[in-house]
Amino acid sequence: MGTNTSVNYQEEKAVYYKVLAGLLLLTAITFIQPHLFMAQSTFLAQMLIAVIKAWLIVIYYMHLKGEKLIGAMVIFALLLVLVFFVIVIGVDVSHFQFKGESYITEPITTGAAHSATPAHH
Amino acid sequence: MAHAYVPEIAVDREGNEHVVQGWQDDFYGGKLGFWLFMLTEVMMFGGMFLALAYYNTLHPQEFLEASASLNRLLGGTNTVILLVSALTMGLGLLKMRAGDVKGAKLMIWATILLAVIFLVIKGFEWTAEYDHGIFLMHGQMLPESTMAFGKKLFFGMYFTMTGLHGFHIIIGIGLMLWLLKRINANKVNPHHYILYFNIALYWDIVHLIWVFVFPYYYMIGAATGGTSGH
Repeated sequence: MGTNTSVNYQEEKAVYYKVLAGLLLLTAITFIQPHLFMAQSTFLAQMLIAVIKAWLIVIYYMHLKGEKLIGAMVIFALLLVLVFFVIVIGVDVSHFQFKGESYITEPITTGAAHSATPAHH
Repeated sequence: MAHAYVPEIAVDREGNEHVVQGWQDDFYGGKLGFWLFMLTEVMMFGGMFLALAYYNTLHPQEFLEASASLNRLLGGTNTVILLVSALTMGLGLLKMRAGDVKGAKLMIWATILLAVIFLVIKGFEWTAEYDHGIFLMHGQMLPESTMAFGKKLFFGMYFTMTGLHGFHIIIGIGLMLWLLKRINANKVNPHHYILYFNIALYWDIVHLIWVFVFPYYYMIGAATGGTSGH
């Protein structure tokens, strides 16, 4: 079995250009969104636009349309990331690590040194 | 080094020889295997994005201020460049499947050119940031500097993730050059193009990662002001 499958070049090329137009439009919206709509929820708006762009890329450029097995694998991988995140960050960092050893918040020792300095003077 | 395909032969009880199906022709298997690799990429960058999101919840205001200071013009230009490069790579694959090998090679060269332009722009951007004292273990990013801790986290993640993404771009350029070599050797042709298909997939995931990197770093602080960045 060869890897060649029939290709309707003009038809598939048209799809590529349509997706490009859609992605360019969404990129333009990305730029004007903070000044046009949902200005108080820029993060949410930006991520929503990104998800729509990602969907277009995955379905049309990465040919995942109709690929049930690979689609399920993608969702599984994303869920796996989420599970590890909940365990590592949600449980471990939030409840068990000592704040003084944490590198994701300002070290307590620095703050203590700053606050203690004036007392010596 | 050329790898000539030597079919494996199985012999049944009657002594008849049968050619065993070779993996070289297993298009779906090749695609599935490459997707498995790409899922490790999804998990790697996904983990970084989730860590970034957690840091963001700890220092929301400092993240917005740091984001506002990035150069959106350069970041946006790179976004469009990657977008067009994904098209050229896809069109090249289409041309290859349709039998236009010369056109396919031209599209690969166009993709390589766009990738190099992306890296040059990124280089200018990083250089400007370095000159402003913002770089890993340098100037304002040093522990003793007065820069807000949240901003240090933001820029630390920014250099790590855009750096890792840039590394993927360099790998992609190398893969495309290798692909051109394989096409010239007729190892990749209109009948056997799984290598092209998978490298195009790789380039799409490099693009896909940037689709999230750009808004998260450059755009979340856009409403707070500042457009030219460093």
